[in-house]
Amino acid sequence: MATGGASRRGIGPALPLLAPAYLWLTVAIFLPLSAMAFFSFMTELPMSGKDWSFTLENYAAFFSGALYPTLLWASLRLGLEVTFWCLLIGFPAAYVLAKVLKGRVREAIFLLVILPFWSNGLVRIFSWAMVLREGGILDTALNAVLPFKVNIDLMYSYPAVIIGLVHSYVPYVVLTCYLTLQAIDDSLIEAARSLGASRLQTLRRLILPLAMPGLIAGGVLIFVPVVGSFMEPRILGGRTGTFYGTVIEDQFVAVFNWPLGAALSFILLAVVLVILAVAAPVLRRAQ
Amino acid sequence: MTSTTRLLEGLGRIYVGLLLAFLYLPIVIMALMSFNASPFYQLPFEWTTKWYSDLASNAQLLAATWNSIEIAIIATVLSTLLGTAASIALFRYDFRGKRFLQALLLPPIAIPWLITGTAMLIFFFGVGIGRGLHAILLGHVALALPYVIVVVSARLQTFAPELEEAARSLGASQWQVTMRITLPWIMPGVIAGALFAFAVSFDQFVVSYFLSTPGQATLPVEIYAAIRKGFMPEINAVSTIIIVVSMGLMLVTARFFKFGGEK
Amino acid sequence: MADVRVEKVTRSFGAHKALDEVSIVFPDGGFYALLGPSGSGKTTLLRMIAGFDYPDSGSIVIDGDSVERVPVDKRRIGMVFQNYALFPNMSVADNVAFGLSVRGEAKATIAVEVQRALDLVQLGKLGERRPHQLSGGQRQRVALARAIVTRPRVLLLDEPLSALDKALRVDMQVELKRIQREIGITTIFVTHDQEEALTMSDRIGILRDGRLVQEGSPEEIYDSPASEFAATFLGDANILPGTAEGNGLRLADGTLVAARSTVLPAQGRAASCAVRPERIAILPAAVAMLDGKENSLAGCVAKRIFAGSVSTYFVDCAGQTVKVLVQNAGQPRLGEGDDVVLRWSPESTVLFAS
Repeated sequence: MATGGASRRGIGPALPLLAPAYLWLTVAIFLPLSAMAFFSFMTELPMSGKDWSFTLENYAAFFSGALYPTLLWASLRLGLEVTFWCLLIGFPAAYVLAKVLKGRVREAIFLLVILPFWSNGLVRIFSWAMVLREGGILDTALNAVLPFKVNIDLMYSYPAVIIGLVHSYVPYVVLTCYLTLQAIDDSLIEAARSLGASRLQTLRRLILPLAMPGLIAGGVLIFVPVVGSFMEPRILGGRTGTFYGTVIEDQFVAVFNWPLGAALSFILLAVVLVILAVAAPVLRRAQ
Repeated sequence: MTSTTRLLEGLGRIYVGLLLAFLYLPIVIMALMSFNASPFYQLPFEWTTKWYSDLASNAQLLAATWNSIEIAIIATVLSTLLGTAASIALFRYDFRGKRFLQALLLPPIAIPWLITGTAMLIFFFGVGIGRGLHAILLGHVALALPYVIVVVSARLQTFAPELEEAARSLGASQWQVTMRITLPWIMPGVIAGALFAFAVSFDQFVVSYFLSTPGQATLPVEIYAAIRKGFMPEINAVSTIIIVVSMGLMLVTARFFKFGGEK
Repeated sequence: MADVRVEKVTRSFGAHKALDEVSIVFPDGGFYALLGPSGSGKTTLLRMIAGFDYPDSGSIVIDGDSVERVPVDKRRIGMVFQNYALFPNMSVADNVAFGLSVRGEAKATIAVEVQRALDLVQLGKLGERRPHQLSGGQRQRVALARAIVTRPRVLLLDEPLSALDKALRVDMQVELKRIQREIGITTIFVTHDQEEALTMSDRIGILRDGRLVQEGSPEEIYDSPASEFAATFLGDANILPGTAEGNGLRLADGTLVAARSTVLPAQGRAASCAVRPERIAILPAAVAMLDGKENSLAGCVAKRIFAGSVSTYFVDCAGQTVKVLVQNAGQPRLGEGDDVVLRWSPESTVLFAS
């Protein structure tokens, strides 16, 4: 970050401006995360009134059977699949937006793409339920058009969860890729073509590498929340919608085994951090 | 323009149109269903405004809606104020540990809200803050802060520090410089940051969900509860109103501040 | 190497005709400058030859092959862009290697060719650098090496020197010319800088509003411009209006101007002539009597600008200001307000019908 020409000195003069924000973050984010780390090693919550002691049992529970690792793997796979589809669907749209459309049309379309961010995600997920279920909009519409009877009942299935999540997260990819693609000078693309590169070669060897920061940023922005998602699988997945996130939710709102929930959360956090740590150097190199 | 290029560009436009259709399909469906008589979303479509009048008498849903709006406004104001101050400090001063402070902004953005939310639940419960609207507000401000700082800092990157020095040399105090030179320049960034903050708070479900109590919930939490119970058609009505209003506000704002258009 | 023939090429954007039946032959191995103001169509023409855009009608022939419907990547051309367009994600060597690599050449061949090209532009040791670590002049050289390493049939330069500062630009003019001679490649150079066009090219084509208005060697165009526009766009010229008479024209104040001209406008019709400022002699009125002879005007020095080796005089005479460029070779200097007589030869006068 650029500095206002100031020389390196103590934090003193910056403190009054910084302190409120960072105190708030400490109370609402950093202390809670530390507390959760602490509680994940306890048998019971201290404030529950019951006797408690330190234990590794909560973490051992994760490895005791196939259940939790399987669910974690299912969540990671869900994250990867949703990220893959979002990148595949979002990148071409970002390219058209950045390199084909111009002026007011581009501005309007860009706005339309990011506008759903300002509508309620939960409701958008639920409206997919109206679309996808048997006797729902898609079913009725297709049967009204097609001469033969089809049965569309995607509701409470894995594809329904994927569709809902992709719908929720694809604008992130469009946004991040649009920003990096817009920064690529058109003459670079023309230069590659003038040197004999076909459209495909230009895409693969020039545009994709230059757009990599946007693709990775978009991917991270999608993967991380999807791995921890529980609302979308619950609404669209029904009984097939049991994922790692829904199990953690249960520990806190149904089973009330908070220490186990904390341990499961921390394992998820560790996995996410490892993935971010792998992505970070790629991002930095790409810049 | 060559013919192949024209063909590919035409296909590209069609593709973007299809993507927009995909993005808006559920929103349009929801808006339509809010005027459909069948409470089970059955077709054929039969016009009614029943769900809107039902909504007017649904005290629980209305209360949750107001909670959401109030919390979003307060959280926006607080996080924008605190975040802008912090951004200016991070821009103007250089000190040991600055990079660390900047790195600290990452976890709230990068950690899944499920983890942040459950951690807040445990901690607030443990230290006696408890659950409820105050806890939700506390959480929302923290979630929105990093977004504000990142957006405002990006805008500050385009600010020439010499402007501050020039103003100082003309006899302005540090406070006058901040209010009359720096803030006006970064105002588009501040407003963009505030919009992000509002969106983060108003649309926030996960953290609110873990921090709410019956009677002290925001709209998304009520909607989730209703969906799991079997849904009320009034939710289509309230959601339609909210989407129309928030998209309208966004459009108005976008007219004043060009997002993503020509540089 | 190859010649390039552009024949009756027309291209419209909506109602605007960017190119209107332009025909030019770019000779094999020559250095041809397309000169014109912005909007004259010179860049549009260059992009047509490159293959970024196709003409509405007309043909483009490179080395005997009609290419007007061949896409850019199949045309075997080399192009240097105004902002160099170096790929920021690749090293200097990878930039230069790109064209050979997409063509599927063997790695060993590529390495040899890249080194040869970098040596040619005197950047043999900078292959591992990234574009952002280079100076403006070095980037320019990399862009040139990248464009020629594939042995293209024609080299296209789109205002390649405009991003450089003055001193560097002169160095690069010399350097570019040297490299072009060394490999003997047909080169088409777009510029709005008349000095660049004059010093570097063998032939110049002047474009205006989508039409080719004059073509020839730099000397031909400078000495015998075909229009007022060509006279003032390439170099500096005083334009004196009058009516055609004899082998010249008569100015409004009655002075007769004789011109070197083969084609005479109809007698009595409006005409004008162009005289280069350096072709006019300026003498103090006391020394030279105005004797009513041809090609001589009395006037008064309105302004003098001293620029070291030369001085520029702005002389008010016959109702207009005439610019005179004088070498400071030790003759007495004239001051502002001095009465003077201007003289020039008919050989220095070019006549146009208005």
